[in-house]
Parts: sequence; structure tokens; C-alpha cells
Amino acid sequence: MTNRLKLLVGGVQLRDGVGTVVDVVGRILTRAGLYVLANERNYASTIYGAHQFDPLVISATPPLSHGDNLVDILMALEFDANPDVPRQPNRDTILRHGPHLRDGGVLLYDSSTGEVPVDDLVARGVKVFPLPARQIALRELRREVVKNMVVTGALFRLLEFDMDQAYLRQLLEERFLRKGRELVDLNLEAARRGREVIEQVLAAQGWRDVGYRLEPVPTNGERRLLVSGSEALGMGAIQAGCRFYAGYPITPASPLLAFMERWLPRYQGRSLQGQNERESIRAALGASLAGVRAMVASSGPGISLKVEEFGLAGAGEIPLVVVNAQRAGPSTGMPTKTEQADLRMMIGAGHGDFPRIVLAPSTLEECYTMIQEAFYLADKYQCPVFVLTDLTLAEVRKTVPEAFFLEHRMPPHREGVLTEAELRRDGYRRYAITESGISPRIFPGTRGGIFKVSGTEHDEFGFVTTEPPKRAAMMDKRMRKLETYLQEDARGPQVVGTPRGNPVLVGWGSTKPVLLEARERLRADGLDVAVVHLTHLWPFPTHLVRPVLADAAAIIVCEQNWSGQLADLLQERCLLPTRRILKYNGRVFYVSDIIRGVREILRNGATEFRVSEFVPVTVEAHEGD
Amino acid sequence: MSTKPAARTPISKVWEENAVPRHRIQWCPGCGDYAVLNAVKMALTRLELMPHEVLLIGGIGCSGQIRNYLNGNALHGTHGGPLAYAVGVTMANPELRVIALAGDGDTFAIGVENFVHACRRDPNVALIVMDNGVYGLTTGQRSPTGGLGQPQEEFSEESPPAFNPLRLALAAGATFVAQSFSGDPRHSADVYVEAIEHPGFAFVNDFSPCVTYNKFNTYDWFKQHVELVPPDHDPADLQAAFRLLDDFEARGRLPLGVIYRRPRRKKPQQRLPMWDHELADVDLEPMLRTFR
Ligand SMILES: Cc1ncc(C[n+]2csc(CCOP(=O)(O)OP(=O)(O)O)c2C)c(N)n1
Ligand code: SF4
Repeated sequence: MTNRLKLLVGGVQLRDGVGTVVDVVGRILTRAGLYVLANERNYASTIYGAHQFDPLVISATPPLSHGDNLVDILMALEFDANPDVPRQPNRDTILRHGPHLRDGGVLLYDSSTGEVPVDDLVARGVKVFPLPARQIALRELRREVVKNMVVTGALFRLLEFDMDQAYLRQLLEERFLRKGRELVDLNLEAARRGREVIEQVLAAQGWRDVGYRLEPVPTNGERRLLVSGSEALGMGAIQAGCRFYAGYPITPASPLLAFMERWLPRYQGRSLQGQNERESIRAALGASLAGVRAMVASSGPGISLKVEEFGLAGAGEIPLVVVNAQRAGPSTGMPTKTEQADLRMMIGAGHGDFPRIVLAPSTLEECYTMIQEAFYLADKYQCPVFVLTDLTLAEVRKTVPEAFFLEHRMPPHREGVLTEAELRRDGYRRYAITESGISPRIFPGTRGGIFKVSGTEHDEFGFVTTEPPKRAAMMDKRMRKLETYLQEDARGPQVVGTPRGNPVLVGWGSTKPVLLEARERLRADGLDVAVVHLTHLWPFPTHLVRPVLADAAAIIVCEQNWSGQLADLLQERCLLPTRRILKYNGRVFYVSDIIRGVREILRNGATEFRVSEFVPVTVEAHEGD
Repeated sequence: MSTKPAARTPISKVWEENAVPRHRIQWCPGCGDYAVLNAVKMALTRLELMPHEVLLIGGIGCSGQIRNYLNGNALHGTHGGPLAYAVGVTMANPELRVIALAGDGDTFAIGVENFVHACRRDPNVALIVMDNGVYGLTTGQRSPTGGLGQPQEEFSEESPPAFNPLRLALAAGATFVAQSFSGDPRHSADVYVEAIEHPGFAFVNDFSPCVTYNKFNTYDWFKQHVELVPPDHDPADLQAAFRLLDDFEARGRLPLGVIYRRPRRKKPQQRLPMWDHELADVDLEPMLRTFR
């Protein structure tokens, strides 16, 4: 197999089993040595009835990004009639994504309630496969749930993959054997029936194949995993020694809460679902004060509620890792849609000045490594460390070699904690004025030493003071941590290509893969562009960023927000003019968005390009919060 | 700051070391919080606790300053936060004695969310509220417990009837509910000892008059209205606790003493790992396996 293909599975949320199909297909293909990238999971915050879709890029080599919104194979799992759409039965998937189906692509749909007129697609060379999956499951197999397996079997036939059902059988046995052999057989039978129907359609149409074919790729014993961004974060945190987590349910931070609830107890840690955002972060601060590495995660509205405690972590010098899985704002915004609009908030949230560090991983792998770095930095600098992800990063599922997780481990390492002997010798001042800005810590219970931790301004011992010289010295001490950080731990941007003399695409967060692929395509068209991606955003490493960008032909900042938050920050810090490509309709950037933007800016002299796209909407879901 | 070896210092004095000296205490002369401070010292001395074994969590207000007037590890966080920090501290290290010392505004207004849920969660924390009916530090605005004992035939949204923290605590599932009064610090100390020893969340509402801003609930006023819980009251009986509150209320009296006390069965927990050596060699295998 040489080509890469993009499969989109769509249906009614919580009814059609979109998630199950994608999970089964994704896992099996990963086991077969193929790379799967699901970067754009789309669901709604209505629990039932909304349109859900999940595009998967499948490739024999690791795909650079999710590419465009063009789809090769569309699977529409809806089956019944929708009175809201008089001319079409419930075909939301076909209507929404049909226009993005590649000419000559494949449509597989559930035809249980009759066949659908798709003349426009057929006219574009799309091969159409009606499959009465629900009917087969219900009437022949007497179990509606196995309709997902009918569909999966059909898909595998289209791809000429797993014809002997070996992969499927193994997965089903792992899942269901403890519930009985019959269940495994029933599912296999469902898959077989799906395959049969496809055979019939192929034969009736006189098609030899559909133009897509997947073959297992030998991995030479390399183990591969299908992991989500939230899971990578959670695993990284546990690896880094995080033993206390507190959350409050909010999309898209909830999967991390679920992960920690499941795993922390098995590593002698504890996870708390707070009664609200404030209880969560306060409990985490308490645990951190007690000496345990602690983390909280939330999204926009929840982060807003935690802000007062950020100041306490800063002034009281209590280490804490805070993950903000951004979603579209403002206010409750679009809970299940992606955006990168909290950068300004994270570098500024809280009253007064206090030291903080803001990191933004740009890939699933960096979610794993950077959260470890975050714990190290929080401990070293005794301040809040913010890790900014977004819905795309939280939800991304991706095939990653298992070795990656084993090789990139940063052992927990604690500096600056005084021992009892040191305390006896030197005494203890919690907020001792030091050159680095970092004062020694002790944990409560240490014989021979006590601390007074306070968010109110204090002297070196932690006692309240408003004496001007003491205040100024304490403020200076705290803020000196940022100097130390910039010298010792800040990282410059990741640079791909030659920024000098060329247009540069600048980004942060989950958009990196798209920028890299856009660069490839532009270069293939003869336009040399570089990509400069920032991960360490605050304190802003001007000394590392400015030299990289100073001689660029054009600085084009690509980000998913309305104002261009990084662009503004760059201008402010580096005193360099920026142009912008901005998208804020809730969808991820596609490579084509970036290319259109670059053309618009370089050819037509636009200073900014705002991406919009036509998305036909048939059934508008009424979503919650 | 280091505590000298206990052998050379009488334990009662230990609690005055490393603390703001008495002449620099910022409370108004006559403030009820002085008596709370003395009673806390008495209780800690009687329990033979050493400062390093204790974590004091102060609220935001005049009352919260108490954390600096006592030896011992202390946290001074945000307004309304003490009990939530305490939950995290005790979850992380159940061996610490955690005492939260806060005002009525801090606990029953901005912090009521944390108060209600601490009652349910039952962390091993003693909470002493210095209840003066006003926001002292912000110069005397009315707090939720303001208007205690004042006749109120009509009310408005702006000034609702006084809030009864004991009833809320009982209703929310607290396992230790008591009341004390700054005019009688010896009795307070007895109650605190019980509260600190209670295995779970112990709430003591201490009437601690604000001599500057609350001209109604004065020491004299309290002296005329408080009354000890009768010796035959069974604190293990929740219904009896509610009846006692009804009875005192009907008579226009305020009960002092332990109103309810019944330990709950709690899963034992260990101190969470925190040192490098405790965290070394994280075995990722069980997690990795689930992604294959
Ligand atoms: C979020 C927040 N809001 C308001 C304040 C201002 N403030 C400081 S102390 C206080 C009330 C203190 O009253 P109380 O808890 O009854 O304690 P007291 O001073 O009476 O002992 C308030 C509102 C604050 N520090 N933080
Ligand atoms: S204002 Fe009231 S509560 Fe505050 S110190 Fe003075 S008397 Fe005490």
C-alpha cells in the first residue's frame, strides 16, 4: 500500500457507535503496523442525537498531519428517517461531509430504511455501497449492537484487509471472551455478513476493487500504541511523580480526570473530583504544600474560576502544575470545539505580578515529555506552571511506538528541600532572599523546622509585612526566578527550514503538524517557507526568538483565535511586524487553509487572512455547555 | 526558624516561639480572638503536640492572623479557602494535625461551598471559626451570622435573617459540631481538645466578639445568652442534636459545648509518596498495556 487514506465515520452521537467503530478500526490497523492519526474528533455536548464524526488518517508511514478536510471513504452510520429534513432521511453525515468526499471516493452507508439518492456523488465518480447494517443486526442476528461489526466487516472488505478475520477475532476475544465464546462468534458473524453485502455490490456493479487497499506492515517486533493526548498527559504526569490530581468535570479536560481516577490509586496516589473549580485547585495546593507533586486541569470557564489561586501559588511559592485544555470561548463558548484563545489569559491571569511559566506542547509526544518538564520546573521554581493544550491535542489519538514512552522518562528530581541536619545548622526562613530568587523548601512534619506560607505580602519568615523595603525586596526576589529560568531552562522555538530571507509560518500548540505539511506543499510548489514553533511561551524567551525571526521575509503567525494572541505577543516582545492567518470557527486548521492564507498574504499583500468555510448544516443540534 | 529541642523548653512556651511577639499582635485590645489564641495554645499544650506536627490554616480576616501568633507550620491562602486546602493536605499526609482557623465571613459567606463539602468529606481537620457577626478586617460589614439575637419581624434580600452554622453543619453531615465562647477560654480549650482529637472533620463555632464593630453581640450580651449544653445530652444522637438546637432557640439561648459527635468509618490512607526514592522506577507497563 502506498497511498494514504482518510476515512470519516459519522453518525448520531451515542446511538450509532461512531466511537466504537473508530476504536476497533484504529486499534486493529495499529496492530497491523499501520499509522493512525485521528486528530479531529468531533462530538457535541448534547448527549444524544447530535451529529458526531471522527476522521482517521491511515498511512503506512507516520502521517505529517491530518491534512485537509477531503475524505476518501465516508461511512454514514445513521439509519432512520429524520422528519426535520423532508427530502432526505437522516443523512447528516452524507450531507455534511459528502461535499468533501474526494471524486472517485467511497461512500458506505446504512440503508436499513431504504436507499438514498446520491446522484451528485455518483456523478463525481463516488462508489456507493448501501449496507442495511442495522437490519442485518436486528433481523438476522437479533442483536442491534452488532451493527457496528457489520459495518466494520464491510469496511475491511472494501480495504481488502483482514479477510481471514484474524485481527478482528483476536481483538474480540480480548474484549468478550470472558463473557462467552458465543459473543465473539456473533460479532465475527456480523462482520462476515457485512463483507458479504459488499461482495454483492461489487459484483453487481462490476467493480474489481474500490481503489483503496490496506496491507499489514511488518514492524520488526516494534510495539505500537494508539494513545490520546489526554492519556499521554496523564501518563507523563504519573511518570513525573504527580501523585495528587484534582479536577472538576469540563470538556475537554474530563478525560484527564478519568485517567487519573483510574491510574493514580495504582501508583499510591489519589485523585479528587472537587465540588467546584476552586475546591479542586485549593486541594491541589494543599497537597503540594504537604510535599506531593500535584496537578489540576480544566478548560476556559474553570480556569477563570481558579485564577485567584494562581496568585497564591505565585506569592506563596507553592509549586503547582495547571493544565488548560483550551476550548472555544468566551464564556461557555463552544465546549466541544477547538480554539487557542487563552494564551493572553495564561500569561496574565491574576492580579499583581508574580512568576509563572507557560508551556504549550505541540504534539501528543510533547504532551508526554512537557508535562514531565512542567513538574520539574514547578518544583524548581516553586511557582505555578501552566501547560496549555487544546481540544485537538486532548482528543487526538495517534499511533506511537511504545519505546517512545519508555525512552522519554524524566525521573522526578527534587532540589532545594532542606534536611533536618541543615535546618539545625542554619535555621529556616521560608522566603530567604536569594540571588536566584529560589528559597529553600521544607515539608511540614520536618522536625526542627516550621514554615509560614502566605499569599499576603510577607517578610523572609513569612510574616505579614507592608514595609516598603521588605516588600520591594520580596517582590524582586520572586520575580528574579524568571531571570534564572530564562538563563537555565527556557527553550527557543523549534525551527524547520531557513527563516532568514524566507516567509516564516509561526505557530504554537496543536497546529504544528499542519504548518509542517503546509510547508512541504508550498515547497513542492516552489515557495520556500520555514516553520517556527513556540512551546515555551512565558516568560517570553525574547533572546531566543528574536534572532530567529529578525531576518525573515515575512512573519505569518497562524493561530486559532480571533485576535492573533501570539502575533500580538511577538510584536510586543520582539518588535517585529507580523501578519496573521486566523481561524476560529471551531474546526481545526486544514493544510489548505494555511496555503490559501499564505497566498493571500504574499501575493495580494493581505495583512491577515481569516479562514471561513462552507459547512452545509441540515440538522442543527442544540448543544449544551 | 527552628524549634529548640523540646527538653529545654516547656511545651506551653513552645507555641510562642517563632511567632509574632505578643506586643505586635494586631488585634484591637479586647478582641475575642485573644481568648481563642490562648485556648488554642492550651489545647495544643494539653495534647502535647509539637509545632512541626501541626499545620495551621488561617482564613482571611482579623481572625486568620492567628496563624502568625502561634508557632507551627502555617498557610495563609485565599478568602474562603482554608477547608479546601485542608482537604488536600490531609489527603496528602494524614499524619499531620491540621487546624483551620477562620472567620465567620470567610467560612459561611465566600467559603460556604468548602464548608458544606468539608462536612461531607470529613477530612481529619479541626475548624475553629471565630464568629463575630461582622467582617472585622474590612471594617465591620455584616457577615452571614450578623444580626444574631436581634428581633427581626421583617427582612429584605439585603439583610436576611442570621445564618445558623450549627444547623447547616449537622444537615451537611458533619461528625463533630460544637460551640464555645471567648468569655470562657478554659471551656473553649476543652472543646478544642476534643475537636482536634476527633478523627474527622470537627467544627467549633466560637463566639469571639468584635469589640470595635459589633456593638450588639458584646461579651455582656453573650454572657446573658449562652448556656452550657446539659450534661444529659447525648452527642451521638443526631435527632437529639437538632432537638437541642430547637430547644435553645425557643428559649433565646445559645448552647455551648459539644452538640454532636460521632466518628464515621473512614478508609485508612497512607501518606502519599513525595520523595525521589519513593517515586523512582515508575512501572509504565500496566498503563502501556491498555493501549496496545
Ligand atoms: C476574594 C476576596 N474578597 C474579599 C476580600 C476582602 N476581605 C478581607 S477579610 C474579609 C472578611 C473577613 O471577615 P471574617 O471572615 O468574618 O473575619 P474577621 O475579620 O471578622 O475575623 C473580606 C471580605 C478578600 N480578601 N478576598
Ligand atoms: S476589628 Fe474586631 S475582629 Fe478585628 S481585631 Fe478588632 S475587635 Fe477583633
